Amino acid sequence: MRIRLLVIIVLVSLQLSAGSWAQTGVKLAAGQSLSVAASSAGIDTLLSGGPAAWNQIAAKHVALNRTPPLYDTDEPATLEIPSVDVRVARTGGKLLVQLTWRDATHDAVTLAEVPNTPPETRFRKVQTEADDRFFDAAAIMFPEKAGTGAIAPSLQMGDAEHPVAIYYWNATRGPMLMQAQGRSTTRRTGKTFPASGSYQNGQWSVIFQLPDLPAGTTVAFAVWNGGQKDRDGRKYFSVWQVLE
Amino acid sequence: MSKHQYAMVMDLNKCLGCQTCTIACKKLWTDRDGTGYMYWNNVETRPGLGYPRQWDRIGGGWRDGALQPSPLPTMDDYGHAWEYNYEQRLYEGKKQPVMPSPDPKSGVNWDEDVGGMNEDENYFFYLPRICNHCTYPACLEACPRKAIYKRDEDGIVVIDQDRCQGYRYCIKACPYKKIYFNEVTGKSEKCIFCYPRLEKGEVNACAAQCPGRLRFVGLLDDPESPVHKLVLVHKIALPLFPEKGTQPNVFYVPPFNPPKRENYGKSIQEDPRVPLDYLIYLFGPEVKDVIMRLETELKKTQEGGRSEALQLLIGRDAETRFHVRPPLVQIQV
Ligand code: SF4
Ligand code: SF4
Repeated sequence: MRIRLLVIIVLVSLQLSAGSWAQTGVKLAAGQSLSVAASSAGIDTLLSGGPAAWNQIAAKHVALNRTPPLYDTDEPATLEIPSVDVRVARTGGKLLVQLTWRDATHDAVTLAEVPNTPPETRFRKVQTEADDRFFDAAAIMFPEKAGTGAIAPSLQMGDAEHPVAIYYWNATRGPMLMQAQGRSTTRRTGKTFPASGSYQNGQWSVIFQLPDLPAGTTVAFAVWNGGQKDRDGRKYFSVWQVLE
Repeated sequence: MSKHQYAMVMDLNKCLGCQTCTIACKKLWTDRDGTGYMYWNNVETRPGLGYPRQWDRIGGGWRDGALQPSPLPTMDDYGHAWEYNYEQRLYEGKKQPVMPSPDPKSGVNWDEDVGGMNEDENYFFYLPRICNHCTYPACLEACPRKAIYKRDEDGIVVIDQDRCQGYRYCIKACPYKKIYFNEVTGKSEKCIFCYPRLEKGEVNACAAQCPGRLRFVGLLDDPESPVHKLVLVHKIALPLFPEKGTQPNVFYVPPFNPPKRENYGKSIQEDPRVPLDYLIYLFGPEVKDVIMRLETELKKTQEGGRSEALQLLIGRDAETRFHVRPPLVQIQV
């Protein structure tokens, strides 16, 4: 498929306030810093979304960009999720990150549970209920080798020298840990991580438990709207933010 | 393009619509969670809706070197699975007849044997379909994960289940709608041309089970194989919808026989049972030449001669129909 690489490069460059942008790194500008609040609340309290604990932490309003159409056959998509609010708390040797964003459509289902017994031993199999639905999702990406200073990996899923970890949460399928080193190299590691998500009054609030990351680590965020058939690079993304 | 290419020829004059192939495939490969609606092999009545319905009219494939857009078929297009209320009727004393629910509105071969009208005569034939293991697979090109690959040793197109993320660009891109999404695993699946069987020297399950003996299997580039002879030597088998640009490796002997009622003795092309326009729609304008060749061969035998092409099409035994080479790749253990 012909990827409109030029368009992507131009658009991504425009989104970056810093002037120099190369495949392997970007000098980060001021205004991209993200403060980390020490929290006295426990991991479980924060993970369960305890409003008392989270309300004490100031949110950073992070602008989201829409990827340009990647493929000639893509349906058009609108920019309807312009930003995500990010709160970062440090507690018990972990980072807990809360992402909240407005999304008018709640695209999540509960899939039928698959019994533990092999399918050939069961008369009834779990059926595919729908083949054309996509679900809301969010992700946090950061370099696997944390603390590499102000040089960030390529925003397009890292690069060969700078592999990235992607903490991906899907409203239907839950959290999964992924790894990538450049565009179209993303793979599931088979590992998962603690996360929780809730949807209320047209707003998602999703909490990710990350390992503790040192100051200076670059992190980026992504949001998918299932109702717009978002998946893959068809998404909203932020530029790199730097943990304080 | 791969080094070698497995291919299948199906003689549509011989298909009974018995679905033995469908069941052989289903029992072997798609009797798992999430695969109920998947028919890696399906047999549809033509003219007709097809499975998923209207797949031939919604898009995909190539034009001028670019992939063509297509919507994803929905469950309405495949048909929702239904259950019968046997319990209520048999054990709970309900007087009404046993009923399916939800109300069936579509399904695999939903319009079985409906066909169409050719003037005052009804006609139909069966079209068995598997993935075409195309030379230029649109599915492969569409996958941003590079999860689909074409095996160099035999041209079989497969989806790496570890790489697949269930994005479904491939389903949209395939003009034959031969990829299915498994919502349970979150990944897409398709016909694997029974490569694990071929690697053991066994022919594809659908071909092995076919009581109509209409399936021929072999390497297209092997001069000894029946598919090579039918497609490249006798030139009596054509791919489906060649204009979709993927260059399928499943070929069909077009249905030209029997002639229309009261037309015995006349040339089939004069007044065919299946309207030529419909065959051209399916197989392109070359179908006219193919039918002409087939008719010539038929005449030859009717006049006491011998036709190598027709002898081959009779396909008396497995040795004639299948030319499965022993493993093309020796796996070193
Ligand atoms: S028939 Fe469809 S799924 Fe099969 S190789 Fe061709 S494009 Fe891909
Ligand atoms: S098993 Fe053979 S005859 Fe029966 S439906 Fe399949 S292709 Fe046709």
